[in-house]
This record gives sequence, structure tokens and C-alpha cells, in this order.
Amino acid sequence: MRLKRKLVPWIYSLPAMVLIGAIIVFPILYTGFISVTNMNLFHWSNYRIIGLENYERALLKVDSGFLKAIGTTIMWTILNMILQIAIAYFIALGLNVKGLRLSRLYKTLLMFPWAMPAYVSILLWRVGIYNTEFGLLNKILTTLGIHKVNYLSENVPAFISCMVLNLWMALPFMIMMIDGALQSVDRSYYESAKLDGAGFLAQNIYITIPALKPILAPAVIMTTFTTFKQFDIVYLLTMQKGSLTGSTLQTIITYAQQNAFVSNNYGLSSAVSIVIFVFIIVFSLFTNRGIKEEV
Amino acid sequence: MGGNKIKRRIGLTLLNVVFIILCFVGMIPILYALILSVSDGNNALSSSLSLLPKKFTLHNYSAIFIEEPFVLWLKNSVILSIGTCVLAMGTSVVAAYSFSRHRYKGRKSILKLLLLLNAFPQILSMFAIFRLFKECNMLNSRVGLVIIYAGSMCIFSIWNMKGYFDTIPIEIEEASKIDGASDMKLLRKVILPLARPAIIVTAVMVLIFVWNEYLFATTFMLNDKSYTLAGGLYQLQANDYSRSWPLFSAAAILVSIPILIVFFCIQKYMVSGLTAGGVKG
Repeated sequence: MRLKRKLVPWIYSLPAMVLIGAIIVFPILYTGFISVTNMNLFHWSNYRIIGLENYERALLKVDSGFLKAIGTTIMWTILNMILQIAIAYFIALGLNVKGLRLSRLYKTLLMFPWAMPAYVSILLWRVGIYNTEFGLLNKILTTLGIHKVNYLSENVPAFISCMVLNLWMALPFMIMMIDGALQSVDRSYYESAKLDGAGFLAQNIYITIPALKPILAPAVIMTTFTTFKQFDIVYLLTMQKGSLTGSTLQTIITYAQQNAFVSNNYGLSSAVSIVIFVFIIVFSLFTNRGIKEEV
Repeated sequence: MGGNKIKRRIGLTLLNVVFIILCFVGMIPILYALILSVSDGNNALSSSLSLLPKKFTLHNYSAIFIEEPFVLWLKNSVILSIGTCVLAMGTSVVAAYSFSRHRYKGRKSILKLLLLLNAFPQILSMFAIFRLFKECNMLNSRVGLVIIYAGSMCIFSIWNMKGYFDTIPIEIEEASKIDGASDMKLLRKVILPLARPAIIVTAVMVLIFVWNEYLFATTFMLNDKSYTLAGGLYQLQANDYSRSWPLFSAAAILVSIPILIVFFCIQKYMVSGLTAGGVKG
């Protein structure tokens, strides 16, 4: 009977664990194995173990492009997070101003980019907004008499284009999270702060931001991961099969994917994947305190 | 105090103007697609700027149903979504309940490990899964894709629901437990009704994930008969999108509508259903 009670929780979670084991854990281990082989298109089944050569190639040779991709990814994550939090904070503050009667309507309209399927949004932006011939941006430029710009053909404009799109897609979530958190801040703090003569800036620095920090930490960490992992935007905007736009922008994720499915360099791609995974583990250990579980 | 009141009025008006501009700018990409989807081809491909369609037509919408296998894609998407939802929710609700209510050795480490595994971007192990599935002859099969999708969403579902289950006071169950109710009965009669927001949000997140997934759908399904909406749409724009751009925008609008409806229906649950797990502690 005691043994049975002990086994019960395991039996309950068994189906889920089997599923996770097959789809998440095993592929990661298998990726680890591939990373020490020379598997590629020509060595599909007669590959052999070559040790850490792939890692060496990824991390030590600058022309492998991986180091550059790391730089791009870090910059991408930091810039996006700063802009996202700052912009969302002010919009959420605006939404919570007393007497703004239409705030519910605004909130709903602002949620649309989040509700849209991500790949649909990206493809709509690629053709509808950024396209050189019939994108909206260039139509506006032509109407104003300025010559057309090719937004996605070079790295810096492509990076900015991707970032604008990412902000468009990710801001609603942030706005909603901050808006929700703002409503949980005790109003009486502001009353007494006003009595003490604290202005808008002081109220924000001393009351709002400290109060929001613990509530928002999980959402911010989650978003940081999503931003870091962002693949669709860069891939769909600039490097779809058969319609490369000319920019060579790579994040580490697109770099790994391109090596696996375009240049068929499975060993190298797997080595890169494992390196990224190690990064993520280290990063998680740092942020773990934010998502501590109460037991 | 009259001056102060006027100042407030002006401030609010300005704020309203700012928000109207913001909402409009935010909606432009969607509005633009909507306008293009009801205008004829020339309008979209000319490089002159015209915001309103010169000629209103629903031709693009009918063309999607007639010229493209849209209905077939829709059917595939629905089957995959429902299959994934059943498999993912079926396994994770029970697991989440056991993680939330039972105390045993290794529980905390497993939860932490799951979180870590969830941080691993799935694209990175896509090739390993591809090879595995090829060996097992599971490529091109709906069951295979459902398993992949369910596995991908399982950890998120467990964590999300466990967080919410934790907020339900255990005393409610104790009472029924004394009456001799089994775990399964407790789960069905007590927890599920109380945790409705979390369960709805989680299930919808799974649905939306499947509905929007194009990369696995196009990599693992090798013929266009088995494409999902996302895969089909992706293909539609990949083949000569300049010709089919108004067609594509009509398809994009059609695909987005169900998601938009579902999204706004569950919006009120969104904050509580998504954050309960993380906010504590």
C-alpha cells in the first residue's frame, strides 16, 4: 500500500514524461551525438566519430560565421528588450491615466498584432511593407518623390527592419503585462506621494518601478528567452528558400538551421546547437532566482 | 481651479490623439492587407499609393477556395490542432496535477529540469527529430506531427497549469478526500472546474501554436496534399508571390480570423491564466 502511494505520482506523470522524453530529451542527446561526428549529405549513414572538430570549427575559426552570429544575437536581444520595456511602460502608463474613457478600445486595438498568427504578420510585412516594388513604405517614398530603398538587402537596414517588426509583434504582450501589473499597485501610495509633493518622475522612480519589478520579472525573463530564440522574423524576412534578399544577417538560431537544412552540414550544426544550449543553461542559472518556485 | 480643469482636458485630448495615432499605425499592416484582399490585382502591383481599393471585389477570396486547396489545408489544420490538443492536454493535466499535489523525492529537480529543457529552441533539434522520424518511417504522417507538436507544448502546459493548480487551496480537496474520493475524481470534480481559466488558456495556446506552425509542417510533410494552412500559405507566397500577393493577403486574412476570434474570447483569462504560475515567490 505504501509503495503504491509512492508510485502514484509517477504513474500520473508517466505519459507526459514519455512524450517529453521522445520529442525533447532524446533529440537533444542525439544532437549531442551528431555533433561529434562528421555527418553530412555525403556521410548520411557512413559517418564516423571525429571528436571535437566541429566545436573547434564553430568557436575558433572566425570565418565559420558563428562568432559573428553570436554578436548579432546578443545585440538583437539587448536592443529589443530595452526598447520593448521602455515603450510598453509608457504606453501602459498612458492607458492607466484616470479619465481616459476609451482605454478599453485602445487596449483591444493594440492587442491585434499579438493576436495575428506570427508567420502571417511576418509575410505581410515582408511583401506589404518592406517590398521594394509594392511595399507600403516605398509607395509612400515614391509619392513623396524620394527614391526607393531596399530595406532587406543589406545587414544594417535588415537588422532595423527585423527589429521594428519584432517590436510590433512583441509590444502587445509587454503592454498587457505591465498594464496588469500597474493595476495591482496600491493607489494610496500615490496619494501620499502627491501630498509630499512628488512629481511624475519621482512617483515613477520611487513607487511604480519598484512595485512592478517583482511582478514583471517572470514575464521579462520569458520575453528575453523568446527574443533570444527568435527565428521566424529573420528567416522569413530575409532568407527563405529561393528568395534570399541579399543581407547576410544571421542569429545563432538561423545559423544552426541553415547549416542543417541548407548546407547539410549536420555535424557543425549540431555542435552549434549544443553550444547554444550550454549558453541557455548558464543564462537560466543566472535568472533562476526570478522564477523560484514556492514550496 | 478652473485653469487646472482645462489643463486636464487638454492633457486628456492630447493623450487620446496619441493613442488614436498609435492604434492606427499599429493596425496599418493588417488594414493594408485587408484592403488589398478586396481589390483587383493591378492595384496591389502598381507602385502608386492608393489607400482605398478602386474597385471592390471578392474575387481573391473565391479564388482561394477554387484555385488553391484551401479547404484541404483547413481540414489538415483542424485535424492536427484537435489531435495535438487532446494528446497534449490529456497528458499534461494529469502530470500537472501530480506535480502540484503530490510531494515526493525528485519532484523539484524534475520541474527545474523541465524548465531548462523548455528553453532549448526546438529548431535546433529539428534535424535529430527528422532523422529519427525517417528511421521510424514517420515522415509524412499526421500522427508523427501530432506527437511532435504535443511534445513541444507539453512542458509549457504542465508548468502553466501546475502554477494555477498551486493557487487553489488544498483544503477544498481535503474535504472531498475524507469522503473517499479518488485522485482522478478529485481532479475531475474539483480541480478542473476551479482551474478553468488556466486550462482554457493553455489549450488555446496549444491550438494557436499548431495553427501557426509552418516550419515543422513543411519540413516533415513532403507532399502538398498534407499541408496545413500555415504550410500551404507559406508555400503560396514562396512560389512567385508577386502574382499571388492579393491572393495571399486574402488567404492571410481568412487564416487569421479564427485565431483573432479565439484570442479575443479568452483575453479576459489571459493575464490570470498565464501569470499565476510565475507571479508567486
